[in-house]
Amino acid sequence: MALERKIQRFSLSWRIQHFLLMISVTLLIITGFALKYHDTWWGKFLIFIEGGFEARGTLHRISAVLLFITAIYHLVYIIFTKEGRMEFKELLPVKKDFVDLVESVKYDIGKSKNPPMYGRYSYKEKVQYWFFFLFVVLMILSGIVLWFHNYFFGILPKWFFDLSQALHSATATLIITFLVLWHLYLVHLSPSNFPINASFWDGYVSEEWLKENHYLEYLTKVNPGGKDKGGID
Amino acid sequence: MIWILMFFILIVNQANSQLKNQRCFVCHGVKNFGIVEQGKFKSLYVSKEDFEASVHSKFACVSCHVDVRVIPHLTKPQKIHCLQCHFEGNVVGAPVAAKPEKYKESVHARALAKGKNAPDCKDCHTIHYVRKPEDPNSSVYKTKIPELCGRCHQTIKEGYYNSIHWTGITRGELSAAVCSDCHREHDILPPEDPRSSLNPKNVVGTCEKCHSDVKLMKRVGIPVKNPEAYKESFHGIALKFGVVRAANCASCHGYHDVLPSRDPRSPIHPANLAKTCGKCHPRANENVAKGKFHVLPSEKESGIVYYVYTFFKWFTLIVLVGLFTHIVLDLVGHIRRKRKTTGE
Repeated sequence: MALERKIQRFSLSWRIQHFLLMISVTLLIITGFALKYHDTWWGKFLIFIEGGFEARGTLHRISAVLLFITAIYHLVYIIFTKEGRMEFKELLPVKKDFVDLVESVKYDIGKSKNPPMYGRYSYKEKVQYWFFFLFVVLMILSGIVLWFHNYFFGILPKWFFDLSQALHSATATLIITFLVLWHLYLVHLSPSNFPINASFWDGYVSEEWLKENHYLEYLTKVNPGGKDKGGID
Repeated sequence: MIWILMFFILIVNQANSQLKNQRCFVCHGVKNFGIVEQGKFKSLYVSKEDFEASVHSKFACVSCHVDVRVIPHLTKPQKIHCLQCHFEGNVVGAPVAAKPEKYKESVHARALAKGKNAPDCKDCHTIHYVRKPEDPNSSVYKTKIPELCGRCHQTIKEGYYNSIHWTGITRGELSAAVCSDCHREHDILPPEDPRSSLNPKNVVGTCEKCHSDVKLMKRVGIPVKNPEAYKESFHGIALKFGVVRAANCASCHGYHDVLPSRDPRSPIHPANLAKTCGKCHPRANENVAKGKFHVLPSEKESGIVYYVYTFFKWFTLIVLVGLFTHIVLDLVGHIRRKRKTTGE
């Protein structure tokens, strides 16, 4: 394609949030799973390269602070900025998402000729957002209990710490399952994005891509008046 | 030449056969036989009966007291040492199993070398009445060990006699731990020594010898999974990676006077837990008693922890299968559509 029109999809703020999340979650996974799998050769290796057992813990806590800052940043963004409120509204699950899921599967198995038309965020991305929202809340809460156990010892019963530990560990496993399988599929392996969807970095996608993947968003962006009557090519 | 050698062998044999134990016991078998040494009476009595029941019964007195050649001997025989025979490669068949070697490095041998009062072989094994440790009449028979060590370590002995381990022994559970089960027998090392069985890094392994024994723990009614759960806990993992300030078994349970949690004197009795945990966690209060200890999330006994763990296990599995199915459907659909367009 000679002249590919680029359309901005993600604002700078969005990209900074994603970047912080990416860095902190990656560090948390590497340092956290080193502890969880301390009995395996790779767990021992991770602990070794993280500078030993106690340094691993420190690194985990530093990453946790980064995640916490990211979470606060995000909350401020979706509550206090106009852009953030708009984005959040787009991310709220609606009835159409369930219809889209059914339509998408129908399209995949050949029962339907056209794929569903997605808005700014498809159900695939919404599932991602909300799962992560839940993960981060669970991890931060249980993590705080574990980190400040000496303080909470005077307040919470013993079983609460065991619960927090089990929850922290189980949620981590769920996160990594979700991250590797779903998020990396959506942005790397899925045919229209392979090998990588670079919009996380510069915020831009091609017009073609937007048309193919988020047709309704494409319409509002390219043709705010909504006169375009064309379907999917 | 050969004749001369034969002659010597004959002489030596005769000399030996002449000095039969029988002859020694003529004097030493008399109960109040002894001498006055530095104004004190020193018994030189050896019980023939007990000697003959010992592992050395088949040996002649002069096998060890080699400097006694005629009877009555006019000089005081030299002090003898067990290592005369019990050394690696000895020809008389004295069992070694490297134990005297192990002893040499022990706290006792080192104290002795510095001229302090510390036991060597004879103080535990006796001089003339050495029996196999399995023999109930042996000085080192299991049930006699606390008394034996307690001759010097008195306060510790008294503490130990309060413990559940001693209670176990008195009830006939001979697998219960006595001193030597934790401190070992010959290579008793100070806890600071990394090779010591009671070095913080080795404590878990020492307790685990018995506490991971399924049959034994079932017999005495103690959960066998406790060491495993400990090793999976933060304390256990930290300790494994060399953080020795992390609590090991003894930090909470105590050691010589270890008692079950139902005993009000035990540091792990619910009423004492706040104090016990408080040794490291200053804000600990009665809350620490609200819950189970040695929790394994995969065990049903763990209560709410088990249910949360199980829920997440299944939920993760369902998410995994669901997402995987969706991805496969997407890719299959993509390939099919592509084939169709290229086919047309």
